[in-house]
Amino acid sequence: MAGFEISRRKVLAGSAFLLASTALPSFGWTQEKKGGRLVVAADSEPRNLNPAIVASNGVFFISSKVVEPLAEASFDGKDGLAPRLATSWEGSDDGLSVTFKLREGVTWHDGKPFTSADVAYSALSVWKPLQNLGRVVFKDLEAVETPDDHTAVFKFSRPTPFQLIRNALPALTSVVPKHIYEGTDIAANPANNAPVGTGPFKFAEHKPGEYYRLERNDNYWGEGEPQLDEIIYRVLPDRAAAAGALEAEEIQLAAFSAVPLADLDRISKVPGIKVIPEGYEALTYQLVVEINHRRKELADAKVRQAIAHAIDRDFVVKTIFLGYAKPSTGPVPQNDKQFYTADVATYAFDVAKANALLDEAGYPRGDNGKRFSLKLLPAPYFNETRQFGDYLRQALAEVGIDAELVNNDSAAHQKAVYTDHAFDLAVAPPVFRGDPAISTTILVQSGIADGVPFSNQGGYKNADLDALIAKAAETIDPAARIGLYKDFQKKVTEDLPLINVAEWGFITVARDNVKNVANNPRWAVSNWADTYVET
Amino acid sequence: MRLVRLFRSPEAISGLVILGLLGAMALAAPWLFPRDPLSIAGPPLLRPFQDWALPLGTDRLGRDVVAGLFHGARTSLAVGLAAAAASILVGSVVGTAAGFAGGFVDEVLMRITDAFQTVPGFLLSLALVSVIGPSLGVVVVAIALSSWTGPARIARAEVLSIRERDYVASARVIGMHPVEIALREVLPNALPPVLALSSVIVAAAILTEAALSFLGLGDPNRVTWGGMISEGRAVLRSAPFLSIIPGIALVLAVLGVYLAGEGVVESSAAREGQA
Repeated sequence: MAGFEISRRKVLAGSAFLLASTALPSFGWTQEKKGGRLVVAADSEPRNLNPAIVASNGVFFISSKVVEPLAEASFDGKDGLAPRLATSWEGSDDGLSVTFKLREGVTWHDGKPFTSADVAYSALSVWKPLQNLGRVVFKDLEAVETPDDHTAVFKFSRPTPFQLIRNALPALTSVVPKHIYEGTDIAANPANNAPVGTGPFKFAEHKPGEYYRLERNDNYWGEGEPQLDEIIYRVLPDRAAAAGALEAEEIQLAAFSAVPLADLDRISKVPGIKVIPEGYEALTYQLVVEINHRRKELADAKVRQAIAHAIDRDFVVKTIFLGYAKPSTGPVPQNDKQFYTADVATYAFDVAKANALLDEAGYPRGDNGKRFSLKLLPAPYFNETRQFGDYLRQALAEVGIDAELVNNDSAAHQKAVYTDHAFDLAVAPPVFRGDPAISTTILVQSGIADGVPFSNQGGYKNADLDALIAKAAETIDPAARIGLYKDFQKKVTEDLPLINVAEWGFITVARDNVKNVANNPRWAVSNWADTYVET
Repeated sequence: MRLVRLFRSPEAISGLVILGLLGAMALAAPWLFPRDPLSIAGPPLLRPFQDWALPLGTDRLGRDVVAGLFHGARTSLAVGLAAAAASILVGSVVGTAAGFAGGFVDEVLMRITDAFQTVPGFLLSLALVSVIGPSLGVVVVAIALSSWTGPARIARAEVLSIRERDYVASARVIGMHPVEIALREVLPNALPPVLALSSVIVAAAILTEAALSFLGLGDPNRVTWGGMISEGRAVLRSAPFLSIIPGIALVLAVLGVYLAGEGVVESSAAREGQA
């Protein structure tokens, strides 16, 4: 009871302060909504904050409030999109051009007007040559015509499916200002560390090791937006600290499962705190076992099938993810509405069958009960990928495969797996980004240069699959394209170039007074223009 | 006489008892828990004293905490002893060489020792393990690398006084090779004070190993107490026993080693005083 009294007093004091700061003696509900400071937990400090170059969730989490894409994912919009800097988009029937109508009356944070020249510059000079994902999707982009200040026409040298471009809009099309980047070394431009955009918040400051501060953009194009005055990202690299900070009201929101899954049950019972599993539908992470096909044992499909049978997906979901995940059936997650098919080869948990397959493949158990030894490299990015590594080692031991765990930090892991190929099995968490062509086909396609992270670096080569991927990449008709990707899922699950184990979204934990949370499928990495703190 | 003295001090007795228990745990581990201690033995997050097959419960993946504790004692003791042995060996050889040779060799060796001493030991271990990659051997080398300087300095100080003694001079007179004199006459007599350091080094090595494992730089294919504490940390609020149990084991082990070492040093000092 005493605790309640104190916290109420604090809240009253805080609201009095906020009312004073708005300098408007109105108590109407619109005034109550406006303003406020949101303090959120940040678990990493990306060096490069330019989402046009580094399209990753760690960067988006901060910079999506500052730099906007052409369109954002939406629960109820047409094709699952809501307009941002583009108001409409249309593809030609031959797949060679896409026309964007751009929003009028938008200004950059430094006061200059936003025009089609910025879009053309971003597309040709940043997304296509420099961006990790744009290199794939925009590889055939030849020119961007700008007939007027608010129209941009993308011209492709080869047919490029409009469906793919549409699905790529939220993650790949962050527009950066031409007048700041033109004529400079784009990768070394200081604006990469202090981004300038058109978004609802301006980048204010970054104190390394302490916080990032974003402040309200008073000239934002959205009417009555943003609601918040300020967003503070408090750097809390220690995951256990986020839960404590939420309970102490030092922070009001922790996204991307900053609160460990094992703590959710307890924290959901704390009054004033809610656990929100929504808002990550378009950011599905997949738990995948990457396989090095250069190892002669693993080049045998029977061995790969045996490994797939040795993994208890329900155990993984229940114990490692504590129920906050789903078992995977194939390379496209079940929550994808456009491409997913359940009609694929499946591998039920069956130790006897796994043992039989390994015997059949010609790898009998030796005198010590072991068939052969492997090096297993779990990705260090998440607790869950590490724990799954621990589990997989045990699961493989049950079928007589001796796996030696090798733990590395992020940089060493990426080098070992994606550049040096010094692994037999690896655990990876790739992201499905709404279209298999963005970041999924690259996981099994052959002919990818060494060193490209989250791509097929296991030496897998399947001409049929490569042909299928190439055909889908230039199929314009959406229905035919979806058909090809359903085939793709079937082929991948039959031949198992990699093993999909589970898929998960993250969890947001927030104080009750933070409103408009999780209202779009990429909420954590969207612009938070309508979010507010109730006082 | 010496043993009697040793058993007269209560600290030494408790230290030796703890150490004995620890040694017994380490030796009995593969016999009592023949399965891989990292294998999944039951339902996850079972609390202690619920199921007598798993008396101290299970961790987040359902691994047996008792099995982890026993096998962890093996790792901790192995690393502690190996690192201490390696650092005393290296330290006394370097110290003897420096003290006995003197002059330029002494200068060079002691400046190298200084250089190692100016870098915080734990940082040095951390850097080495993160560069080479974690495995038991590397962890031992990393710890030895940061703790050989103490024995080296003490050995050198002892050697400086011993090399002026008459029996060394006579060895020289009968024409023994200097290396032979250093190894057969000087080093054995310089060793006792160096060995007195060993309990401190073992205790520090156990702690360093635990700290490295806690930071995720232990050998992931072995159970270590530090690793157990680190894994338990994610569920500290809901299952604190996962961190507390190996934590207690760690405290007891370090305390045991230290008390026993202290007891041995005191009893031998008393004996010398009597003689």
